[in-house]
Amino acid sequence: MRMVTVRLAAGATLAQAMEELGLPEEEVDTGYGLVAIDPAQGLYGLRVTEAGARRMDPEAGGGPYSDPPIEPYGPPR
Amino acid sequence: MRVLIQLRPSPDVVAAVADPGRTAAAADVADGLPGVLLDPSFAPVAVPRPVPPAGGDPLSLNQPLRFSLAAEDASVLVRGEISDDEAAVRLALLPALRPDVVGVFADPVIESNLTCGGDAPVGDWHDVARLLAVEDLAGEGLDGAGVALAVLDTGINAAHVARHLGREFTLDAARSWNPAGVTGKAGEFEVDHGTMCAFDTLIAAPKATLLDLPVLLSRRPGGSAIDGLLSDAVAAFAHLRTVLETQPEESRALVISNSWGSFSPRWDFPVGSPGNYSDNPAHPFNLIVASLDAAGADVLFAAGNCGRDCRDGRCAFPDRPIVGANSHPRVLSVGGVDTGGERVGYSSQGPGRLEGRKPDLCAYTHFSGSKAFGDDQPDSGTSAACPVAAGLVAAVRTQWPASRLSPAQLRTLLRRTADDRSTVGFDHDYGYGVVDPRGILAALRRRSRA
Repeated sequence: MRMVTVRLAAGATLAQAMEELGLPEEEVDTGYGLVAIDPAQGLYGLRVTEAGARRMDPEAGGGPYSDPPIEPYGPPR
Repeated sequence: MRVLIQLRPSPDVVAAVADPGRTAAAADVADGLPGVLLDPSFAPVAVPRPVPPAGGDPLSLNQPLRFSLAAEDASVLVRGEISDDEAAVRLALLPALRPDVVGVFADPVIESNLTCGGDAPVGDWHDVARLLAVEDLAGEGLDGAGVALAVLDTGINAAHVARHLGREFTLDAARSWNPAGVTGKAGEFEVDHGTMCAFDTLIAAPKATLLDLPVLLSRRPGGSAIDGLLSDAVAAFAHLRTVLETQPEESRALVISNSWGSFSPRWDFPVGSPGNYSDNPAHPFNLIVASLDAAGADVLFAAGNCGRDCRDGRCAFPDRPIVGANSHPRVLSVGGVDTGGERVGYSSQGPGRLEGRKPDLCAYTHFSGSKAFGDDQPDSGTSAACPVAAGLVAAVRTQWPASRLSPAQLRTLLRRTADDRSTVGFDHDYGYGVVDPRGILAALRRRSRA
């Protein structure tokens, strides 16, 4: 899965993001949903499959961005 | 090789060296030593002579001794260098050529032993409370009361924290948040890393209100069995913006403690790629961090445990291991020192990847505290240093909400008042220095008067 961004009006829904990006539901992590990254700028984020990231409308969205694992910094091993 | 040379010059020279009111140079004592490059920066040192009791053995140090700095008894040490190629010959010849030379000794480099992972605790959390001047902070009403302090980690076990603190504390379940798929309740997670972090925030901010966000427990598709994903942290920060926006603007106070990061470039896009995280301020997580700062939140990140002296075995970045949001210009990147004020060997050194001047500062770690990993195990890593510093920030926020002191202003204040541990101001080991609560208090008093 990859992260992508999309610019939408305030209060946007995941369905609107999928429509804007031209992606079907099976290529989107619906459990993750649509996350407001910077609502003042109308910037939202979602997780999509690698195939979906390749196929989405590049004019409509940003990315794909890496989504690396994160781990606790301790105790030092 | 560097050597210390012991000489017995004339009594008047010895007297001059031994007299703290007078100044003697190395050349006054040992000028013209063949084959020796004297170190003029090393002031000669008078060495007392061991004097045995009457009838004692003049060669034995294993008896009661008196030490005499009298001019006719004492000797003098100077420092110099002998060519490695002729060291053996010079060492043999010097006393023969110069009768005032009584000994030539090695002058090895000495180094302090830095605290590393696996070492025993250095002090305990009461020492940290003393170093953080918690009583002084509380005396000025800076105890974290009313301040929300979010711990993004593996979840908090509130009962464990309370048991080891010896008192109850406030955890706000309503404003806590779980990633999708994580089913535990706020404050009821297994004792682990997040419990340690929660404990450590409460040292300086005993009355702060903790929010529990167990992002590292997420098991989203694409993740592994042992960690969360950065996208979970994006969602957690989005939740925290709603927390912040429900607070009255004039009294906003939200501190976010992050003792986690990315250890390896393996899962990242290459540096230079538009989708990269480690070096890219336009990555969505780095954007949301900036937006939370702009909204009034104080964001702190651990600098990481990839210090050159004893790095964590998981560290896989070949250089500049403070990456991504841990090196963000709008966060405080926190390195670690032990309770003796020495940098722990695993604390990551700068420069950072998004901002070169990282870490910003250091706070205390490697002390006996939460016992989350066992009774004899320290709260360690920059994982502990970060929440210790976050607690201090939360304490300040008790009287100084973001409307009165913006996150950027508070970062500047913390850097400016830090106890500088180098001779050059900022350095990539300690940043601007070790957090100094008394300096912070003095600066806040000045600001109040202004």
